[in-house]
Amino acid sequence: MNVTYKKISTKTSLTLFAVALLSTFSLPALGQNPRLDIKNLEALAKKASEVVDVNLDAPLLKLATKFMTDEDDREGLEVIKNLKGVYVKSFTFDKPGDYSPADVEAIRSQLQGPAWSRIVSAQSKHEGENTEIYLMTGADGGKVLGMAIIDVEPTELTVVNIVGPIDIDKLSQLEGKMGIPRLGEEDKESSQKPAGHHEKP
Amino acid sequence: MRNRRTFLTPAILSLVLLQMLSFPAWAGDQEFHQLVERISAYYQKRPMRSIGWLNFLANRFTPHGVSHFQMVIFDDIDTSDTPPGEEFESGLERIVGPSYQPFVRVHDVRSGDWTYIYTRESGKARFEMLIVTIDSSEAVVMKMQLTPDALREWLDDPVKKGRDSREEARQAEVN
Repeated sequence: MNVTYKKISTKTSLTLFAVALLSTFSLPALGQNPRLDIKNLEALAKKASEVVDVNLDAPLLKLATKFMTDEDDREGLEVIKNLKGVYVKSFTFDKPGDYSPADVEAIRSQLQGPAWSRIVSAQSKHEGENTEIYLMTGADGGKVLGMAIIDVEPTELTVVNIVGPIDIDKLSQLEGKMGIPRLGEEDKESSQKPAGHHEKP
Repeated sequence: MRNRRTFLTPAILSLVLLQMLSFPAWAGDQEFHQLVERISAYYQKRPMRSIGWLNFLANRFTPHGVSHFQMVIFDDIDTSDTPPGEEFESGLERIVGPSYQPFVRVHDVRSGDWTYIYTRESGKARFEMLIVTIDSSEAVVMKMQLTPDALREWLDDPVKKGRDSREEARQAEVN
């Protein structure tokens, strides 16, 4: 009886081990999470005059899509309906220089993993603005699993984290909505790379 | 007889009006009443009773797409044990209940104000929004219904709308 029990136990253990191993391989983008930890940027929060967090989880996005019935909403709806969440953290500072480039590194450091690639870095030298867009792709390098946008201005810093599959060609549908900054303004000296060209930060 | 009626009509109207003005803000909504009771128990403090007229006026001059506005103010609360912030938020979510989705949070670092905004679906083509603003000594709780167009404005620029709501709550405290 004990022998049978041990056999089953060993078999079960092996099965569980195999399942666990397979799960590890199938985790999105080598185990990285497209959801950034943007809630706890305490060092920046202490320097800011105001901090705004926007939290659009899947249920709230689903709620929003129910009423996007206008013709104008069609493309936006296509983008939103597959998303798992949109998270925005915006810091406002009293004056330029209240935060340092090193503070922004706290955010960039989360985008150093192999699954994240910077696809856009647009700078405006005159206004001191800088926008970076990062994509997280699946292990096969094709499917976009998440996106991060860092928008740096002299007295404002905004971090946007979009979680879920995104068609980057349709990203413009979300510009200026849900706290996502407008991208690709004409006055910016853009160093944009083609969508297929992934640049490591 | 005619004189009596002339006298009675304005008197009844005045009574009705007075009743409306002095009515507690949350009297018409059992759920909001329960929420206010839970916050009241949390802070061991009753809300101010003299703001019925504010709700009365607010419901007549609400922005387009906003209705069923209700507000209560808790004055002289003691937040020293559980100051508003990250840890306080989870306690507030328990008080508010799971049906509300956390949507926007605004923290004015200078003044120490925290504003928590929650939303949920409310019947056909309506949304409810709950806004709780807390500083070191006061809490303002506002609940309202939004049309899809009004919610769309929130979704278009939640950062700005969140800031505006904090200002509105601050104005309510001042008034």
